[in-house]
Amino acid sequence: MAETTGRVVGAFTASHSPGITGWPERAEPAKREAVESAFAEARSRIDALAPDVIIAVSVEHFTNFHLGNLPAFAVATSDSYTGPVTKEMGDFLNVEQHQYPGHSRLGRHVYEFALESDFDPALVEGGLEFDENFCVPFKHLDPESKYPLVPIIVNGVNPPWPTVRRCHDFGRMIRRAVEAQTEVQRVVVVGTGGLSHWVGLPESGQVNTEFDRDFISRFESGDESRLLSYTAEEIDAAGNGAHEIRTWLVAAGSVQVPFDVLAYEPVPEWLTGTAVAAARI
Amino acid sequence: MYSLHKLLWDIRKDPNLADRYLADPDPILDSYGIGGEDRVAMRELDFKAMYERGFNPYLIYFCAIQLKVDRADYYAQIRGEKN
Repeated sequence: MAETTGRVVGAFTASHSPGITGWPERAEPAKREAVESAFAEARSRIDALAPDVIIAVSVEHFTNFHLGNLPAFAVATSDSYTGPVTKEMGDFLNVEQHQYPGHSRLGRHVYEFALESDFDPALVEGGLEFDENFCVPFKHLDPESKYPLVPIIVNGVNPPWPTVRRCHDFGRMIRRAVEAQTEVQRVVVVGTGGLSHWVGLPESGQVNTEFDRDFISRFESGDESRLLSYTAEEIDAAGNGAHEIRTWLVAAGSVQVPFDVLAYEPVPEWLTGTAVAAARI
Repeated sequence: MYSLHKLLWDIRKDPNLADRYLADPDPILDSYGIGGEDRVAMRELDFKAMYERGFNPYLIYFCAIQLKVDRADYYAQIRGEKN
């Protein structure tokens, strides 16, 4: 049988507020229902796509990296990841600490392909631990942790950040990387973070619905010129946590099609504008 | 800024260091070489001052939590509602 190249068969994005799993009951019931239904819909679509691997793109919140070593992008190539990082964080997120399977060969391939494509991500061969970045959304999207992951980290927690255009380009590179190998046939990309929120700041608990709805409009339009025109200052208007939308840009770049937002709810009790979206493939 | 950023991160990562800091901060501030207004802010757990001095809000907040500061109290302080 002739070898066929891998494909990105789907892409999804979601918020990763600790409240989604840690204190879902504090949200208004209708909002909780909308968000959880959207997660369930995304899970069902992922299962229907039967991915061999999920490339999971998020920020990390000083769980691994710090200001002595803060990569703009990092690709992890381990075969296993611990999450949540501590039992305490597990209690906080209401996610039982466990091992998430990794796909080290595809991770290694993406890393090498990135270098050949003039990207210079950090290599994380082991030791990467998860916080809410992956543990919260994947509790809904893959509760049994059955899909092996290639985690990719984008700096969304400390300025200066990679530009939104660079994030989108990184996503496009991911697709080319997947298509440049034959071992892994079906890949789903999941980007997690955002939308508007403030962490550790006086505005914490606010939601900038105007920013969120405008971002969703751009994300659903598939119009790259609108999606890629954000400056860091414009994103700042939606809080330091809003910079996590870079993970959505990576996911968008990996498919370059419009997305459908399955739910958007401003949830002050979870401290975020909370959304779940799926690429229109 | 790096010395205090490093201490904030180390406290986030190391509960033992957090306990030792709460028991006796000065030797730890000495060992990290933290002086001046940064030292005053950290010694007083004046998170608002740290924020105003430009330290990363994630690291300030995570460190506060590790130092057993109640979340609501943290946010009240950062909003200037209490000292």
